[in-house]
Amino acid sequence: MNGHLEDSSRQQQRWMSWVYGGILLGLLNTFAVATYGALGVSRNYAVVDGWLSGLLGLDFASTNSYMSGIPSAIDWLFMVNVGMVIGGFLATVIKGKLNVRSVPRLWVSRFGDSKPKRFAAAFAGGFLLLFGARLAGGCTSGLVLSGIAQLALAGFVFAVAIMASGIVTARLLYRRQSS
Amino acid sequence: MTAPLAIAAQAGIVGGTDARAIIIGLLTGIAFGAILQRTGASSYHMIVNMLRLKDLTIMKLLFLGIAVGSVGMYVVNAVDTAHIGIAPVYLLGIAVGGLVFGVGWALAGYCPGTALVAMSEGKADAAITVLGGLAGAATLAVSWDYLKPVLVDPLNYGGKSLYDALGVNPLLVALVLAAALIAFVIYLDRIDSRPGRQAGKRLDPTARPEL
Repeated sequence: MNGHLEDSSRQQQRWMSWVYGGILLGLLNTFAVATYGALGVSRNYAVVDGWLSGLLGLDFASTNSYMSGIPSAIDWLFMVNVGMVIGGFLATVIKGKLNVRSVPRLWVSRFGDSKPKRFAAAFAGGFLLLFGARLAGGCTSGLVLSGIAQLALAGFVFAVAIMASGIVTARLLYRRQSS
Repeated sequence: MTAPLAIAAQAGIVGGTDARAIIIGLLTGIAFGAILQRTGASSYHMIVNMLRLKDLTIMKLLFLGIAVGSVGMYVVNAVDTAHIGIAPVYLLGIAVGGLVFGVGWALAGYCPGTALVAMSEGKADAAITVLGGLAGAATLAVSWDYLKPVLVDPLNYGGKSLYDALGVNPLLVALVLAAALIAFVIYLDRIDSRPGRQAGKRLDPTARPEL
């Protein structure tokens, strides 16, 4: 009924090809190391934890041995993550509209549309992601995308471990479901 | 800017805290977030279906990004200075951390970076994943003194790379790795092109986009 709306929704259904996306990701990966350092994300969760503990008066940074290696200043790597939030937002609004939703449709098809159930899994998932990433020293960005590209042995070990356990867990969660 | 020396001396700073580092970091991140969003890498559907081996698009994207990045980095390293920092390899902590991470990856349907991007798209569950991540990183920090002697100190070989282990030129290793990854990506794409697979497509193309 509205040509403009139809066009924008049709555009939203199409992803950028993984070929172009992969080449761009590789060039960005190179640009980061050529300018300042390897792309990474998980360290910044610990940076924010340090700030939050300061707000709560716990002074995590000076009392905890792990946090003593985590900076409290805003550096290049922190700004990469700030940029990711802005870049994701801009790409979404330029190509279509914001995708405000609580429960992914694939999740609904297997576990129903209960918000508390999905939020509990999303929270537990986030908890395990960052507990694991900080124990290993990086995540899909720092140890896999840029870690393996830098030829770090740590990246290869981490990639095998996350793929093995991710594949087993996803197949268990979605067992007896074909689509 | 008031105390640059004190800030520079702080442990764990990556890439600097000067104005140029802040601006380049922001722009790098904007490009990173936009690429992840536009390729579908911040979609629960795409990540979970990759892990279910139903749609390998995200795996192809990641491996191609590694292949191009590896050759790019070591070409830069050969002609100029690249800021390469090899992560330490400690087999137990990385294996256990990776296995825990994988369970979280499948449960959340995001990784730490794609959760940030998905949150910026308006996906509430991704924002909850970020909160869970803050709690998980804090829990690791308070357990560090107990975990480090068991999982990080033993079998710790420091910042070892594949070319240290093989004793050959880094660029040569990067080129061979890139060739192997691209061959693997072509193989994955042939699997994705089999009849009946829905690679790169949304769950229901006629429905509202809400993945």
